[in-house]
Amino acid sequence: MPHVRFFHLLCFAVLAAFFAASTAQAHHGWAWATDEEFEITGVIQSVRLGNPHGEVTISVDGEDWVVEVGQPWRNDRVGLTREMLSQDREITVHGHRSAKEGERLVKAERVVIDGKDYDLYPDRES
Amino acid sequence: MIEQALVSVENLAFVSALRNSTFMYPLVNAGHILGVSMLVGGIVPLDLRLLGFWRNYPVMVFVDVLRITSAIGLGLAVFCGALLFATAAVDYAASPLFQAKIVLVLFGILNALILGRVFKQGDIRSLPMEAPMPVAMRAGAFLSLAVWISVLVIGRLLGYF
Repeated sequence: MPHVRFFHLLCFAVLAAFFAASTAQAHHGWAWATDEEFEITGVIQSVRLGNPHGEVTISVDGEDWVVEVGQPWRNDRVGLTREMLSQDREITVHGHRSAKEGERLVKAERVVIDGKDYDLYPDRES
Repeated sequence: MIEQALVSVENLAFVSALRNSTFMYPLVNAGHILGVSMLVGGIVPLDLRLLGFWRNYPVMVFVDVLRITSAIGLGLAVFCGALLFATAAVDYAASPLFQAKIVLVLFGILNALILGRVFKQGDIRSLPMEAPMPVAMRAGAFLSLAVWISVLVIGRLLGYF
Protein backbone atom coordinates (compact mmCIF):
# COMPACT_ATOMS: atom_id res chain seq x y z
CA MET A 1 0.00 0.00 0.00
CA PRO A 2 2.67 2.57 0.93
CA HIS A 3 4.43 1.70 -2.32
CA VAL A 4 1.39 2.59 -4.36
CA ARG A 5 1.04 5.88 -2.54
CA PHE A 6 4.68 6.66 -2.92
CA PHE A 7 4.38 6.02 -6.63
CA HIS A 8 1.46 8.43 -6.84
CA LEU A 9 3.45 11.04 -5.00
CA LEU A 10 6.34 10.56 -7.35
CA CYS A 11 4.01 11.05 -10.33
CA PHE A 12 2.72 14.20 -8.72
CA ALA A 13 6.24 15.51 -8.16
CA VAL A 14 7.23 14.81 -11.76
CA LEU A 15 4.09 16.52 -13.02
CA ALA A 16 4.68 19.51 -10.77
CA ALA A 17 8.28 19.81 -11.92
CA PHE A 18 7.17 19.56 -15.54
CA PHE A 19 4.56 22.24 -14.98
CA ALA A 20 7.07 24.53 -13.29
CA ALA A 21 9.61 23.99 -16.05
CA SER A 22 7.17 24.58 -18.87
CA THR A 23 5.91 27.84 -17.39
CA ALA A 24 9.49 28.87 -16.71
CA GLN A 25 10.18 29.68 -20.34
CA ALA A 26 9.97 33.39 -19.73
CA HIS A 27 12.65 35.93 -19.01
CA HIS A 28 15.93 34.07 -18.65
CA GLY A 29 17.56 32.96 -21.85
CA TRP A 30 15.88 33.51 -25.18
CA ALA A 31 13.29 30.75 -25.27
CA TRP A 32 10.45 33.17 -24.44
CA ALA A 33 11.22 35.44 -27.37
CA THR A 34 10.67 34.94 -31.10
CA ASP A 35 13.57 33.78 -33.27
CA GLU A 36 13.12 36.69 -35.62
CA GLU A 37 15.47 39.66 -35.38
CA PHE A 38 13.54 42.69 -34.21
CA GLU A 39 14.33 46.38 -34.32
CA ILE A 40 12.51 49.22 -32.64
CA THR A 41 13.24 52.89 -32.01
CA GLY A 42 11.71 54.94 -29.25
CA VAL A 43 12.19 57.62 -26.63
CA ILE A 44 13.34 56.62 -23.17
CA GLN A 45 10.71 57.11 -20.46
CA SER A 46 12.19 55.43 -17.42
CA VAL A 47 15.01 53.13 -16.43
CA ARG A 48 15.54 50.53 -13.76
CA LEU A 49 19.00 49.05 -13.88
CA GLY A 50 20.34 46.26 -11.72
CA ASN A 51 19.92 42.55 -11.06
CA PRO A 52 18.57 40.30 -12.39
CA HIS A 53 18.53 42.53 -15.48
CA GLY A 54 17.87 46.14 -16.32
CA GLU A 55 14.61 47.41 -17.78
CA VAL A 56 14.25 50.46 -19.96
CA THR A 57 10.77 51.70 -20.78
CA ILE A 58 10.58 53.46 -24.13
CA SER A 59 7.74 55.22 -25.86
CA VAL A 60 7.07 54.24 -29.47
CA ASP A 61 4.24 56.05 -31.27
CA GLY A 62 2.49 56.70 -27.99
CA GLU A 63 2.85 53.11 -26.76
CA ASP A 64 5.17 51.97 -24.01
CA TRP A 65 7.58 49.15 -24.70
CA VAL A 66 9.78 47.49 -22.12
CA VAL A 67 13.34 46.76 -23.20
CA GLU A 68 15.31 44.23 -21.19
CA VAL A 69 18.96 45.18 -21.14
CA GLY A 70 21.74 43.26 -19.42
CA GLN A 71 22.58 42.54 -15.82
CA PRO A 72 25.06 45.03 -14.33
CA TRP A 73 28.28 43.40 -15.58
CA ARG A 74 26.95 43.05 -19.11
CA ASN A 75 25.95 46.72 -19.27
CA ASP A 76 29.25 47.77 -17.67
CA ARG A 77 31.22 45.76 -20.20
CA VAL A 78 29.97 47.86 -23.10
CA GLY A 79 29.83 51.08 -21.11
CA LEU A 80 26.06 51.36 -21.05
CA THR A 81 25.41 53.61 -18.05
CA ARG A 82 22.37 55.11 -16.38
CA GLU A 83 23.35 58.57 -17.65
CA MET A 84 23.17 57.39 -21.23
CA LEU A 85 19.74 55.99 -20.65
CA SER A 86 18.37 59.31 -19.46
CA GLN A 87 14.82 60.34 -20.13
CA ASP A 88 13.79 61.70 -23.56
CA ARG A 89 16.78 60.26 -25.35
CA GLU A 90 16.23 58.30 -28.50
CA ILE A 91 17.31 54.71 -28.49
CA THR A 92 17.24 52.00 -31.15
CA VAL A 93 17.03 48.46 -29.91
CA HIS A 94 18.03 45.36 -31.85
CA GLY A 95 16.95 42.12 -30.28
CA HIS A 96 14.05 39.72 -29.98
CA ARG A 97 10.53 40.50 -28.94
CA SER A 98 8.36 38.42 -26.69
CA ALA A 99 6.59 35.55 -28.40
CA LYS A 100 3.47 36.31 -26.38
CA GLU A 101 1.01 38.00 -28.66
CA GLY A 102 0.48 41.68 -27.92
CA GLU A 103 3.22 41.82 -25.26
CA ARG A 104 5.41 44.86 -25.88
CA LEU A 105 8.59 43.43 -24.46
CA VAL A 106 11.96 43.16 -26.17
CA LYS A 107 15.18 41.59 -25.02
CA ALA A 108 18.03 43.69 -26.36
CA GLU A 109 21.06 42.23 -28.07
CA ARG A 110 22.40 45.60 -29.15
CA VAL A 111 21.24 49.16 -28.56
CA VAL A 112 22.16 52.31 -30.47
CA ILE A 113 22.27 55.69 -28.76
CA ASP A 114 23.51 58.81 -30.60
CA GLY A 115 24.73 56.62 -33.44
CA LYS A 116 26.92 54.56 -31.16
CA ASP A 117 26.53 50.79 -30.84
CA TYR A 118 26.39 49.08 -27.46
CA ASP A 119 26.59 45.39 -28.24
CA LEU A 120 25.43 43.55 -25.14
CA TYR A 121 25.67 40.14 -26.81
CA PRO A 122 28.67 40.26 -29.15
CA ASP A 123 28.37 36.51 -29.74
CA ARG A 124 24.87 36.82 -31.08
CA GLU A 125 23.88 38.21 -34.41
CA SER A 126 21.86 41.39 -34.09
CA MET B 1 3.39 55.94 3.12
CA ILE B 2 4.12 52.23 2.63
CA GLU B 3 5.36 52.99 -0.86
CA GLN B 4 7.74 55.58 0.56
CA ALA B 5 9.08 53.10 3.07
CA LEU B 6 9.61 50.54 0.32
CA VAL B 7 11.41 53.09 -1.85
CA SER B 8 13.71 54.01 1.01
CA VAL B 9 14.44 50.32 1.55
CA GLU B 10 15.42 50.04 -2.12
CA ASN B 11 17.65 53.09 -1.74
CA LEU B 12 19.59 51.82 1.27
CA ALA B 13 23.29 51.82 0.39
CA PHE B 14 23.87 48.10 0.83
CA VAL B 15 20.66 47.28 -1.05
CA SER B 16 21.75 49.42 -4.02
CA ALA B 17 25.14 47.76 -3.90
CA LEU B 18 23.51 44.34 -3.97
CA ARG B 19 21.22 45.33 -6.86
CA ASN B 20 24.19 46.45 -8.93
CA SER B 21 26.63 43.78 -7.87
CA THR B 22 28.22 41.21 -10.14
CA PHE B 23 28.62 38.31 -7.72
CA MET B 24 26.75 39.15 -4.53
CA TYR B 25 23.28 39.01 -6.09
CA PRO B 26 23.68 35.55 -7.61
CA LEU B 27 25.31 34.37 -4.37
CA VAL B 28 22.42 35.66 -2.27
CA ASN B 29 20.14 34.00 -4.81
CA ALA B 30 22.03 30.75 -4.29
CA GLY B 31 21.69 31.18 -0.51
CA HIS B 32 17.95 31.53 -0.93
CA ILE B 33 17.81 28.34 -2.99
CA LEU B 34 19.99 26.51 -0.47
CA GLY B 35 17.58 27.59 2.27
CA VAL B 36 14.54 26.48 0.30
CA SER B 37 16.14 23.15 -0.58
CA MET B 38 17.02 22.48 3.06
CA LEU B 39 13.51 23.46 4.14
CA VAL B 40 11.59 21.46 1.55
CA GLY B 41 14.16 18.67 1.47
CA GLY B 42 13.68 18.21 5.20
CA ILE B 43 9.99 18.79 5.44
CA VAL B 44 9.01 16.28 2.74
CA PRO B 45 10.48 13.15 4.38
CA LEU B 46 9.40 14.41 7.82
CA ASP B 47 5.79 14.93 6.73
CA LEU B 48 5.73 11.65 4.85
CA ARG B 49 6.87 9.82 7.99
CA LEU B 50 4.11 11.50 9.97
CA LEU B 51 1.66 10.47 7.26
CA GLY B 52 2.69 6.85 7.67
CA PHE B 53 5.63 6.11 5.42
CA TRP B 54 8.71 4.26 6.73
CA ARG B 55 7.00 3.14 9.92
CA ASN B 56 9.77 0.69 10.71
CA TYR B 57 12.01 3.66 11.50
CA PRO B 58 11.38 5.58 14.73
CA VAL B 59 9.48 8.82 14.16
CA MET B 60 11.88 10.64 16.48
CA VAL B 61 14.77 10.08 14.08
CA PHE B 62 12.87 12.09 11.49
CA VAL B 63 11.54 14.68 13.90
CA ASP B 64 14.75 15.44 15.78
CA VAL B 65 16.95 15.74 12.71
CA LEU B 66 14.69 17.16 10.02
CA ARG B 67 12.94 19.69 12.23
CA ILE B 68 16.30 21.35 12.81
CA THR B 69 17.58 21.26 9.22
CA SER B 70 14.21 22.53 7.99
CA ALA B 71 14.21 25.38 10.50
CA ILE B 72 17.76 26.38 9.55
CA GLY B 73 16.74 26.24 5.89
CA LEU B 74 13.74 28.44 6.63
CA GLY B 75 15.95 30.96 8.42
CA LEU B 76 18.42 31.07 5.55
CA ALA B 77 15.65 31.37 2.97
CA VAL B 78 13.97 34.20 4.88
CA PHE B 79 17.25 36.07 5.38
CA CYS B 80 18.40 35.83 1.76
CA GLY B 81 14.84 36.30 0.55
CA ALA B 82 14.54 39.54 2.49
CA LEU B 83 17.69 40.82 0.77
CA LEU B 84 16.37 39.88 -2.67
CA PHE B 85 13.04 41.50 -1.81
CA ALA B 86 14.80 44.71 -0.78
CA THR B 87 16.43 45.13 -4.21
CA ALA B 88 13.01 45.55 -5.83
CA ALA B 89 10.75 46.09 -2.82
CA VAL B 90 8.09 48.19 -4.59
CA ASP B 91 7.59 45.67 -7.40
CA TYR B 92 7.56 42.63 -5.14
CA ALA B 93 5.18 44.17 -2.63
CA ALA B 94 2.73 44.95 -5.44
CA SER B 95 2.87 41.43 -6.87
CA PRO B 96 -0.13 39.23 -5.98
CA LEU B 97 2.08 36.17 -6.32
CA PHE B 98 4.52 37.58 -3.79
CA GLN B 99 1.71 38.50 -1.39
CA ALA B 100 0.26 35.01 -1.73
CA LYS B 101 3.67 33.50 -1.08
CA ILE B 102 4.21 35.50 2.11
CA VAL B 103 0.75 34.59 3.42
CA LEU B 104 1.50 30.92 2.72
CA VAL B 105 4.90 31.14 4.44
CA LEU B 106 3.27 32.63 7.54
CA PHE B 107 0.60 29.94 7.41
CA GLY B 108 3.28 27.26 7.04
CA ILE B 109 5.17 28.57 10.08
CA LEU B 110 1.97 28.75 12.13
CA ASN B 111 1.08 25.21 11.07
CA ALA B 112 4.55 24.01 12.09
CA LEU B 113 4.24 25.66 15.50
CA ILE B 114 0.83 24.07 16.04
CA LEU B 115 2.18 20.70 14.89
CA GLY B 116 4.96 21.03 17.45
CA ARG B 117 2.35 21.65 20.12
CA VAL B 118 0.21 18.70 19.10
CA PHE B 119 3.33 16.59 19.02
CA LYS B 120 4.20 17.46 22.59
CA GLN B 121 0.69 17.14 23.95
CA GLY B 122 0.07 13.86 22.16
CA ASP B 123 3.23 12.49 23.76
CA ILE B 124 4.25 11.04 20.41
CA ARG B 125 7.65 10.09 21.76
CA SER B 126 6.17 7.30 23.84
CA LEU B 127 3.98 5.79 21.12
CA PRO B 128 4.99 2.35 19.85
CA MET B 129 7.22 2.64 16.80
CA GLU B 130 4.76 1.42 14.18
CA ALA B 131 1.74 3.24 15.62
CA PRO B 132 -0.04 5.56 13.21
CA MET B 133 0.05 9.25 14.11
CA PRO B 134 -3.05 10.91 15.54
CA VAL B 135 -5.36 12.42 12.93
CA ALA B 136 -4.40 15.96 13.93
CA MET B 137 -0.74 15.18 13.25
CA ARG B 138 -1.49 13.66 9.89
CA ALA B 139 -3.72 16.54 8.86
CA GLY B 140 -0.99 19.00 9.88
CA ALA B 141 1.64 17.02 8.00
CA PHE B 142 -0.49 16.96 4.87
CA LEU B 143 -1.12 20.72 5.13
CA SER B 144 2.59 21.29 5.65
CA LEU B 145 3.48 19.34 2.52
CA ALA B 146 0.91 21.21 0.45
CA VAL B 147 1.87 24.62 1.83
CA TRP B 148 5.65 24.37 1.48
CA ILE B 149 5.53 22.86 -2.00
CA SER B 150 3.11 25.60 -3.01
CA VAL B 151 5.47 28.21 -1.58
CA LEU B 152 8.28 26.77 -3.68
CA VAL B 153 6.22 26.71 -6.87
CA ILE B 154 4.81 30.22 -6.36
CA GLY B 155 8.28 31.49 -5.52
CA ARG B 156 9.57 30.15 -8.80
CA LEU B 157 6.66 31.57 -10.78
CA LEU B 158 7.40 34.99 -9.26
CA GLY B 159 10.44 35.34 -11.46
CA TYR B 160 8.42 34.95 -14.60
CA PHE B 161 5.18 36.88 -14.18
